[in-house]
Amino acid sequence: MPWGKVGSRSTASLPPEPVDIIRSMSCYRRVKLNVGGLPHEVLWRTLDRLPRTRLGKLRDCKTHESLVDICDDYNLEDNEYFFDRHPGAFTSILNFYRTGKLHMMEEMCALSFSQELDYWGVDEIYLESCCQARYHQKKEQMNEELKREADTLKVREGEEFDNTCCSEKRKKLWDLLEKPGSSVAAKILAIISILFIVLSTIALSLNTLPELQDTDEFGQTTDNPQLAHVEAVCIAWFTMEYLLRFLSSPNKWKFFKGPLNVIDLLAILPYYVTIFLTASNKSVLQFQNVRRVVQIFRIMRILRILKLARHSTGLQSLGFTLRRSYNELGLLILFLAMGIMIFSSLVFFAEKDEDDTKFKSIPASFWWATITMTTVGYGDIYPKTLLGKIVGGLCCIAGVLVIALPIPIIVNNFSEFYKEQKRQEKAVKRREALERAKRNGSIVSMNVREAFSRGAELLDVVVMEKGERTQDNHLSPSRWKWSSKRAASETSSNRSFNPDQGSPSKARASSPQRLNAQKLEEMYNHMAKTQSQPNLNTKDRGSSRAGHRRDEIELGALPGQGGDPLIGGREGVVDMKSLSSIDSYISCATDFQENPRFPYSPAGGLSLPESSRFSHSPGSGLSSRVSANPSLQTTLEHETMLTPPCSGAKPLNSEGSCLSGGPLSDSSILSDHSILSPEVSVYTTASSRTPPKTPERKALTPAVFTFHDASISKYIDADTDDEEHLREGGPSERLLGGLSSKPRLSGYQGATNHLEAAQRLLGQNCLFPLGSSPSVGHENHVASENSRRPKGDRGHSNAFDKGL
Amino acid sequence: MWTLPRTRDEKEIAVNIGGVRLVLCGDILNRYPDSRLAELVNCPTRSFDVISSLCDDYDPGKREFYFDRDPDSFKCIVEVYYFGEIHMKRGICPICFIKEMEFWKIDLSYLDECCKSNLTEKEEELAEIADKVKLILDDLDCDPNVSRTERWQKFLWKFMEKPESSLPARVIAVVSFLFILVSSVVMCLGTIPDLQVEDSEGNRVEHPSLDAIETACIGWFTVEYVLRLASSPNKVRFALSFMNMIDFLAILPFYVVLVLTYLGTAMMELANVQQAVQALRIMRIARIFKLARHSSGLQTLTYALKRSFKELGLLLMYMGVGIFVFSALGYTMEQSHPETLFRSIPQSFWWAIITMTTVGYGDIYPKTTLGRCNAAISFLCGVIAIALPIHPIINNFVIYYNKQKVLETAAKHELELMDSSPHRTEREPVKKKSLT
Repeated sequence: MPWGKVGSRSTASLPPEPVDIIRSMSCYRRVKLNVGGLPHEVLWRTLDRLPRTRLGKLRDCKTHESLVDICDDYNLEDNEYFFDRHPGAFTSILNFYRTGKLHMMEEMCALSFSQELDYWGVDEIYLESCCQARYHQKKEQMNEELKREADTLKVREGEEFDNTCCSEKRKKLWDLLEKPGSSVAAKILAIISILFIVLSTIALSLNTLPELQDTDEFGQTTDNPQLAHVEAVCIAWFTMEYLLRFLSSPNKWKFFKGPLNVIDLLAILPYYVTIFLTASNKSVLQFQNVRRVVQIFRIMRILRILKLARHSTGLQSLGFTLRRSYNELGLLILFLAMGIMIFSSLVFFAEKDEDDTKFKSIPASFWWATITMTTVGYGDIYPKTLLGKIVGGLCCIAGVLVIALPIPIIVNNFSEFYKEQKRQEKAVKRREALERAKRNGSIVSMNVREAFSRGAELLDVVVMEKGERTQDNHLSPSRWKWSSKRAASETSSNRSFNPDQGSPSKARASSPQRLNAQKLEEMYNHMAKTQSQPNLNTKDRGSSRAGHRRDEIELGALPGQGGDPLIGGREGVVDMKSLSSIDSYISCATDFQENPRFPYSPAGGLSLPESSRFSHSPGSGLSSRVSANPSLQTTLEHETMLTPPCSGAKPLNSEGSCLSGGPLSDSSILSDHSILSPEVSVYTTASSRTPPKTPERKALTPAVFTFHDASISKYIDADTDDEEHLREGGPSERLLGGLSSKPRLSGYQGATNHLEAAQRLLGQNCLFPLGSSPSVGHENHVASENSRRPKGDRGHSNAFDKGL
Repeated sequence: MWTLPRTRDEKEIAVNIGGVRLVLCGDILNRYPDSRLAELVNCPTRSFDVISSLCDDYDPGKREFYFDRDPDSFKCIVEVYYFGEIHMKRGICPICFIKEMEFWKIDLSYLDECCKSNLTEKEEELAEIADKVKLILDDLDCDPNVSRTERWQKFLWKFMEKPESSLPARVIAVVSFLFILVSSVVMCLGTIPDLQVEDSEGNRVEHPSLDAIETACIGWFTVEYVLRLASSPNKVRFALSFMNMIDFLAILPFYVVLVLTYLGTAMMELANVQQAVQALRIMRIARIFKLARHSSGLQTLTYALKRSFKELGLLLMYMGVGIFVFSALGYTMEQSHPETLFRSIPQSFWWAIITMTTVGYGDIYPKTTLGRCNAAISFLCGVIAIALPIHPIINNFVIYYNKQKVLETAAKHELELMDSSPHRTEREPVKKKSLT
């Protein structure tokens, strides 16, 4: 029953007086901490060991506001404080208070752990050495991956064609030449290009056959005329290709610098240089140096075989691997060099007294040592004395060993990169599929947050003193923590980490001790220009920009605010909540609360005495789901949104059951749901592409996809699956209705998210008359309660029992 | 019937470990009377002092003892009362777990073997990190209360031995590296007949300019060695360490040759002296090993080889067996051919080695059909014989290579922690003090 009381506290009754809080804190030696449904009990004394951390500050809280600031909910009578965070990570963090040793659970993701550390205000430097290495490695790896992904995204989608004339045509040309996957014509073009490359290399080789060569007037051998024609045609094709690419490229300088384009250029240039030299110096061609230069340029023609790299990811990953493992390659060469040095001098001393020996000097025997160590063994030089043969045998074995040692490391690098490359290819395919779906007007996915998080990761984040937190950004922790937390506790399994991982930087960005809102805003603005734009381009309607979007949001928000707060009574309460949810929605979408462009920012909402209560819990609760995903156009959501009625009823009911003290039977849940579902579906089916009529819907729409959006592209594969599930699951669940869908729903967060969202809806609109306990009837839309319930139900039912 | 539950009730205690409530039976707890919980059960007086010495808090209403400990670890530890052994749950740090066991006064011997190996592994790792940190710290700290010569010695030591400590030290390291390279190159060039000159007796000797470079290099090596020796805190250990032995061997031949040419003629015949000089010239190769000082990769290699001594022996044994078998087979099979290249079994050893390592010079090759079949089989066996034992060696190398990297980050972090703790204590004064 504790939550029932809490619920009443945060909605109907006034917040407790500071006196009560102080009394409650002083009369207990211990404190109960409920983190994500998992109860902990700890001595106040223990928490005081780290007074600067979040838990340490809990003790110093004297007022309701400061308490809500630190924890998500509390119950003074039970001396219980609720934090909506990952329970697994908290166990290790609480042990840090107890033992002074901070360890990371082995199965915990490093990124989500760092996010948790941020939230609890513990510096990651206190991580014990044994975990530290793993933690940092993982983190670095992750950051690197994110960076690389951002780079590729930039490369792939950062092209803008809006600066000059006929941008449309140029974009088409660019797609045709650079993206063989974009259309059939492009694919054919790529194949033709490959054929030309192969043809030209064959011609180049045939040219050197003596039977096919001609002799010129100086008696020198020259090219066969037929092959010369082939060569000319190939070069013409290459030149044309290069020029077209160059003309259509959005960024000329970057194009010029690209390694693949440099190779292209090198493949073409020798031909023209040769022509130029032969034409201008026909008379002096017999001069040796000119001919030598020409010869060198002829050899450079062989570079065109590298042009194949453009068409093969395998070759590209080989190049990348070599670049990345230059350390190990250096090691390999060093090993070999030392072995060659040692064995050649040994064999020299062993063989030098032999008659007509070929080991005339140490440098001369280098060749022998190389050929032996690499086990090639031409047999042009070989030792003849016994000593020499012994040295030779050792040299063979040492060579095998020395070459074999560093190669596994290089191989490892290669396979890692190759896997990565393949994954990215898959991700691109998925993205293209998404785009196609969007063009058909069926899907929306919002990647503002993803892009934002990536950007935040890359940008240097300003660390702020924790104490300087302002009223305005105090909401942010609770905001972002809701999404990750909820999702995490929902499934209490490995996948529950996904959202945490997904928005690490976002979490950091919004975590109070790291950033101030202004900084964030600057960052965001910057990012909206640079980072998120490519994402938006692809993921959203194709051309929508962050600015655009924000305007849309504003549009949506203002009408809602105009009307709603004026309504009094119970509706007033509802509206209040929706208002705050809008606000936080807006601010989440852009991720700042202080954005001057939003006249009704949550700060404003907070200043209203009536709404303040809601903006703490419900508002923030909603916004979390909402956070950062303002994409408003949906179809997929529409389908999935229909699921809430069935699933929404369940948690709500369980909430009701806890309020009434006894669990309700399943049948009652079903009936509730059946009554409710039409109401909800009205909400959910309404098109969200138009400016929303009700703020709730708007807030809800993005909620559906928080999960996808949160998961980094590393999980894109899994992501796709989920999305498909969602797509299938949405309607089917709608059909199934009721409880049968529940286990499935709890499987993935996307669904559960809007499940809760729906629950909220229900609470606001029609459910409370149905609430089983009359005393709570008008209070059951308290967000904290709503949102906590399902989690307790599903994830940690045993803990929940204890709490009850 | 009614009395029974009551007596049990007295023997039952409710404990609350960090929020997890458990009811434990006193009889079971008494299986280990030394443990904290058994003491709690047996404690005769329920006086506040005794109880508070055993647990953190006591709730008289619920008769519940509260312990401010990790519940996860306790769940593992409480198993000892039921099963007599403890298994560590995955994810719990072994070091912390040992602390918990100490708190609950459970003997360490109850920890099961499988978990103990885990513990020792972790302890070893920590010890290695601590060593590394100590090493780095040794470089950093400077005692103010040492004599001037000692400080000078320390400075010199750092200057010569720790290239990362300062810019001049790095320059010294690079110069030293270059000298090694130059002297190696000179050694090789000196053997090229075109660059040699004839001396008065018609012998070919090295070019005088190369000789001069050689002397300069040796001079540098000597100075380096002497400075290192002078500045080393422990002379004997310095002289015996592997790296310094190599250094010593690299400079020794030059001086021995010098002594021999000037004094040796007086004592023995010229030919003997020249032979000795020739033999000593081979020892110059040792200078190439000096490169190991400048490359962590080479050190890793030596470490890996040292660690995989057994596997190397295995490799050699496989090869040895293979060589014997196949050279004997090859010799017998080739006897039928009139112009055979296999004249004796020891001679065909060479062929077997070259075939088994897939080098194949072609100076000796089988000519009969049977001999060729034998060659094919010997080649296959050679590939397998090399590939099998090489795998653990490679594994050792990779593990050590990766570990080296991890250790470096860990040590860096440890230092970072030490560095930052003075600043941090300003912000969180209670933190370290209360925890330690």
